[in-house]
Amino acid sequence: MGDGAHAKEIKVDENSPLFDRTGMLHKEFPSDFRQIRYFTLLIVQSAPPDIKEINLLEQQISEVIKNAVKHGNGCDPEKRIRVWYSFSPEHAHLVVEDEGPGFKDIEKWNEFNRRRQKCLEGEDFAALAEYVSFRGERADDNDGGNALFAALEYWNGGFVFNQKRNCVAMLKRFPKKRRGLAASGGE
Amino acid sequence: MELKIRKNGDNYIIDVNGEMDLYNSYKLKELVMKMLDKKVGRFVVNLQNVDYIDSSGIGALIYICSTIKKMGLKLVITNIHGSVKKVIELTKLMGYFPIAPTIDEALQRMEA
Repeated sequence: MGDGAHAKEIKVDENSPLFDRTGMLHKEFPSDFRQIRYFTLLIVQSAPPDIKEINLLEQQISEVIKNAVKHGNGCDPEKRIRVWYSFSPEHAHLVVEDEGPGFKDIEKWNEFNRRRQKCLEGEDFAALAEYVSFRGERADDNDGGNALFAALEYWNGGFVFNQKRNCVAMLKRFPKKRRGLAASGGE
Repeated sequence: MELKIRKNGDNYIIDVNGEMDLYNSYKLKELVMKMLDKKVGRFVVNLQNVDYIDSSGIGALIYICSTIKKMGLKLVITNIHGSVKKVIELTKLMGYFPIAPTIDEALQRMEA
C-alpha cells in the first residue's frame, strides 16, 4: 500500500513564472455568483475552437472563478476578481486574483490530499469515503469539495498560489497535434 | 437540469437531463432525499443526457452515494461519458462510485 508521498501538492510560490502576465488578456468581474459561468464563457471564447476538450477547459476555469468569487471574496459585491489569460492550441494560461484574505488552508488541504492519495494507491475505497470532499472554513452544502483534486490533475503545467494566497496561476499544456499528410487514396 | 423518475420493478431510475453545475446540482440531492423518505431503496442514476458536470455535480453524486451506502441501500450510476467521465477521472473517483456502462447492466448489478 502506498504512503501518499506521490500526491501532488498545491504550491505557494510568489516567484513562479506562471505569475508573469506579460502579453496576457485581462478582464475584471464583480463577485456575482449568478454570473460565474457567464464570466467563464467570456474568457473561454478567446480560446481557439480546436483546443482539445474545450468544455473541460471551461469547467476547470469555472471552478477557479467560483473559488475566487465565493471562497475568496465571499460573494461580496464590493469586491472584484481579476483574470489574466492566454490561449493557443497548445496551452491555456490563467491568473485569477480575488480581494479576499487568501486560501489559508493550503497546508491542511495538502495533508488531506496525501491521505486521500494513500487510500487511492491502496484501493481502499471504504477509507476513501472520508477523503472524497475537503471542507474548508467557508464551504457550504453546495460545495463539492473536490474541485482542487481535479485542478491539480488538469493543470499539468502547474497550479500555484502567491504568498498572500489570494491569487492563483495555472498552466495547461495540450499535446501537440500531429501534422502529417493524409493518405490520398489516389484522389 | 431536469430530473425524471421511472420505475423498473423495485428499481427507480432517475434520468438526469442537462448540466449538473453549481446552480442546480442540489436538486438531485433533494430528490434522492425525498425518495429515501418514501422508503425507496434501489436507485439507478442515468447520466446519458448529461454533457457537463462540475465539482458541485460531483459533490452531489458523492453525497447521494455516501448516504445510500451508509443506509445499506443500492445505487448504480450509469451512462457516464465524455467530459463527465473525464471530470470524474480527474477526481480519481471512478473506483469509488458504483458505475455500470448501461441501464441494463445497472439493473443486473442491482440483482447481484
